[in-house]
Amino acid sequence: MQSKSSKNSAESPNDITEYYKHVSLFWTDIMHLMSSKPQALTSIGPMRSFAANSKKISVELIEINETLLGFNQYLTEYYKQLADVWGIAQKKVNLKSPEIPQDVEHIEAVKRVWIDIFDNDFTELFDSKKFGENYGNLVSKELELTKHWNNITNVILQSANLPNKEEVDEVYKEIHSLKKRVSKLELELTKEKRKNAK
Amino acid sequence: MLNESTIDPKIIEEILKFSKNVIEAPKFASAPDEINLEVTPHKVVQQIDKTRLLYYKPIIETKHKTPLLISYALINRYHILDIHPEKSWVRNLLEQGFEVYMLDWGTPTSMDKYLDFDDYVNGYLDSSVEYIKNQSSIEKISLQGYCTGATIATAYTALHPENVKNYIATAPVIDGWKDTTVMSNLAKHMDVDKMVDIIGNMPPEFMYYCFSVLKPFEQGIEKYIKFFKNIDDKKYVDTFLRVEKWLGDTPPIPGELFKQWIKDIYQKNLLIQNKMYVGGELIDLKRINMSMFTQVAVGDHLVSPECSMPLHYAVGSNDKTLKIYPTGHVGMIASSFSQKKVLPEMGKWLAERS
Repeated sequence: MQSKSSKNSAESPNDITEYYKHVSLFWTDIMHLMSSKPQALTSIGPMRSFAANSKKISVELIEINETLLGFNQYLTEYYKQLADVWGIAQKKVNLKSPEIPQDVEHIEAVKRVWIDIFDNDFTELFDSKKFGENYGNLVSKELELTKHWNNITNVILQSANLPNKEEVDEVYKEIHSLKKRVSKLELELTKEKRKNAK
Repeated sequence: MLNESTIDPKIIEEILKFSKNVIEAPKFASAPDEINLEVTPHKVVQQIDKTRLLYYKPIIETKHKTPLLISYALINRYHILDIHPEKSWVRNLLEQGFEVYMLDWGTPTSMDKYLDFDDYVNGYLDSSVEYIKNQSSIEKISLQGYCTGATIATAYTALHPENVKNYIATAPVIDGWKDTTVMSNLAKHMDVDKMVDIIGNMPPEFMYYCFSVLKPFEQGIEKYIKFFKNIDDKKYVDTFLRVEKWLGDTPPIPGELFKQWIKDIYQKNLLIQNKMYVGGELIDLKRINMSMFTQVAVGDHLVSPECSMPLHYAVGSNDKTLKIYPTGHVGMIASSFSQKKVLPEMGKWLAERS
């Protein structure tokens, strides 16, 4: 079977990322297997746990680069859309008020025209499907970056034998469910008491 | 080309005056942090988790038997309804002889990410209604919802019509597909599952971004130029800073609640189609059969009238009124216009039914 490393004639950024991910995983796995037996004595210490999890950190860091590529693409499009609308709006202002204002009243009038045209054109942009979609994708990529960061933090927390985000979330969920049950019971009791008092 | 001889000396004068105003601004204006937004005296009568039920001390003898509970929005805080003694929604209602309660949703933390519509509707709001019923020895109250607070109040009124005598919906978020605002466009393209899964609660910073794209030049530039130009107008500066402080104080929105709100209202538009479920129960708007008063603003750039008005036509009430005002989202509740027009009309309607 052809190994991943042998088909690394990497043309696209994705292929390059996949290749480096594979190389990184290969060496961390091999190193881990080769060194696990001598490390057995320290198997309850934080460094042992951290070493075992360092592979996860490497994967997250590589994937962050992939996500950053997408993020930059949407960010560029975001600023392009803003810049394009700015240019069009400024042209409209120039057409409507071609002269340089010479007195206070004229400055006020030009300012009003400028604000009205810019507000209209930018609102039209923010209200458009193309802006909504690109902005949605931009936020989505930003969230993926946060997810990778959370995953790295989780590995570090785990290596220090501390609860990670998922475990804390489980506690929050349990507390919420208990509180909900207690609140409903209390409310029912209040209603029942009221009924009986009549 | 512009040359020295053609420059109006008034321009230089204006620039110098404006610069002087900017430098001297701290002399005339308080720092937002120093401003107390608690205008009308009130006490906390019930506290559940982070929510608080506020009771406003009557200013005159109470004239109407049915107390009013206000369900404020999920965005920013309830202070806008009591922002300034001369523009206070709450104070005006007290002056008309109503008993007023307000539900403050508080500031959720990471721990509250699982709070959902059911907790808000059948938990916090229902507990507040029960408290008021017990306190006043009555069977039904009057309920007012503002903005997203009206979405919650609408769900409550449909599920518990036996507890509501009169329902007032002010700029309610109801028909997401008809909403023509920028907020609605952003909401429709949001991967809300991913957002809640990764960051939990909806962070205030994200809300600030959403607000910053609404009339960005009028709100982001012109507003502040006007502020510095009018820095010696004490009344103007006071109101400006109060509203600015209110705008800058928005709590996070609990993740699960936010998720259901975006998906069911903006993306799938379930509420107006009578297909939305809260706590396992279907919200049927036809069950809203009490007296109902809907208020919308034509210039509302946060919740468009097209998004709010369908509620008026969807409910089962025979006694229903729809009022459309020539103002904006905030102008409808915290302005001289609201004091002169919106509140007297609402007060008259409510007084006849309380």
